[in-house]
Amino acid sequence: MGKTTYKRLPGSQSLRQRLLLASLSSTAIIVEDIRSDSTWPGLLPHEVSLLRLFEKVCDDCVVEINETGTKLKYKPGIIVGGRNLVHDCGLSRSIGYFLEPLIVLALFAKKPLSIRLKGITNDPKDPSVDTFRSATLPMLKRFGIPTEGLDLKIENRGVAPFGGGEILLSIPIVQCLTAVTWMDEGMVKRIRGVTFSTRVSVQLENTMIHSARGIFNRLLPDVHIFTDHRVGPQAGKSPGYGISLVAETTSGCFISTDTTVSYRRGEEGGEMEEEKTELVPAEDVGQQSASALLGEIEQGGVVDSAHQGLLFLLCALCPQDVSKVRVGKLSPYGIETLRNIRDFLGVKFIIKPDPSTETVILKCVGCGLKNLFRKIS
Amino acid sequence: HRNLMHVIYGTTAAVSTSVNEGQEDADSEEEEFFKPKGEGRKNVREDLAAEDINREDCSKFVGSLKKWEDEEAVESIRDRFVTGDWSKGAFRNQ
Repeated sequence: MGKTTYKRLPGSQSLRQRLLLASLSSTAIIVEDIRSDSTWPGLLPHEVSLLRLFEKVCDDCVVEINETGTKLKYKPGIIVGGRNLVHDCGLSRSIGYFLEPLIVLALFAKKPLSIRLKGITNDPKDPSVDTFRSATLPMLKRFGIPTEGLDLKIENRGVAPFGGGEILLSIPIVQCLTAVTWMDEGMVKRIRGVTFSTRVSVQLENTMIHSARGIFNRLLPDVHIFTDHRVGPQAGKSPGYGISLVAETTSGCFISTDTTVSYRRGEEGGEMEEEKTELVPAEDVGQQSASALLGEIEQGGVVDSAHQGLLFLLCALCPQDVSKVRVGKLSPYGIETLRNIRDFLGVKFIIKPDPSTETVILKCVGCGLKNLFRKIS
Repeated sequence: HRNLMHVIYGTTAAVSTSVNEGQEDADSEEEEFFKPKGEGRKNVREDLAAEDINREDCSKFVGSLKKWEDEEAVESIRDRFVTGDWSKGAFRNQ
């Protein structure tokens, strides 16, 4: 059995990646000082929910939390995956918060994963489930992940504050990933997108589409944005609307942005701010989202800024071959990811700015992670 | 690039007290070695103060939006689209 050595980490930062990398590298961790000085100290509901999700997908992992929730002990077990799992993601963060670590974890499980996730499908803080479908899943294929068994179905939509959304996610397992040389961001050949509305007029979707198209008009004729108006239980429990856009390039890159408008839960208690706050008008939402997409295209990376973390993770988890990728300006999350990868996997990237295109080129040798049924000593 | 790598990797070793150390480059260790003792300490403390250990875990980064309605802005990215100049687009990937 032997004594477990714990890696000590301060604060709640990067909890998702820390749990993921700890699980993949079989490293036991102690996270301390979790919001110790905050008015609401300790782990937040979504972080507890994330731990429960890890427990569901893994066997024999040990999670210990102290009384105030400011200290967490995590000893990884065996990633098993499995069919027909169900998890309630809660309402403090959207399903998008859970998807990134879950997808990578599931790739290295014993059995393919299929899971029903309940909660908020669209939210301004995290990438929406639409973005995962249209930009994240195609990106996984680059790393040799089979398309068979890779799927995300949006059954019900749900926005803040009361959610009610449900998705079905299936992730296949891999023996190992395939290293990539992914340097050509290509030229944008078409823009696709989808708007949604729950418990509000479908007219808002047409307004968002109209104003987004107005921005793209002078650049590209091939723009198609679909609508997805939901009613009844498929619309979840709260009113909201939003848009997600994807630019597809000649080299097969998918650059995405999304945004959602809904009411927020009040700061104290469960009181809704519905009376006080005004929602952003649909016209502005379309325009802002389209502008954000052009901003991402301007950056010139092979992925958008929200996908930098996942891109670096996948590169680092590859066999011991060289991966080389191009991104735009490094995002704060991307930088944090690079540090977490260094801390857990010992993989350090060679990072060079490319002044002529104002992009950044990153190169690394993967840590050689293989999906084997490992015995924990 | 040395600077960019230093910005990303140079400082955090002190922040996260890892049990199994020894992943550091020989190069960066040498650099640390030749730093005056006091100075090194000061940097660590500044970094600790600057970085919130409980900052929100969020992959989305929303920068400021340009005014893409302006002709000038549109022209600046025209060649990133298939409707623009292909030779300029290809030049980017040399």
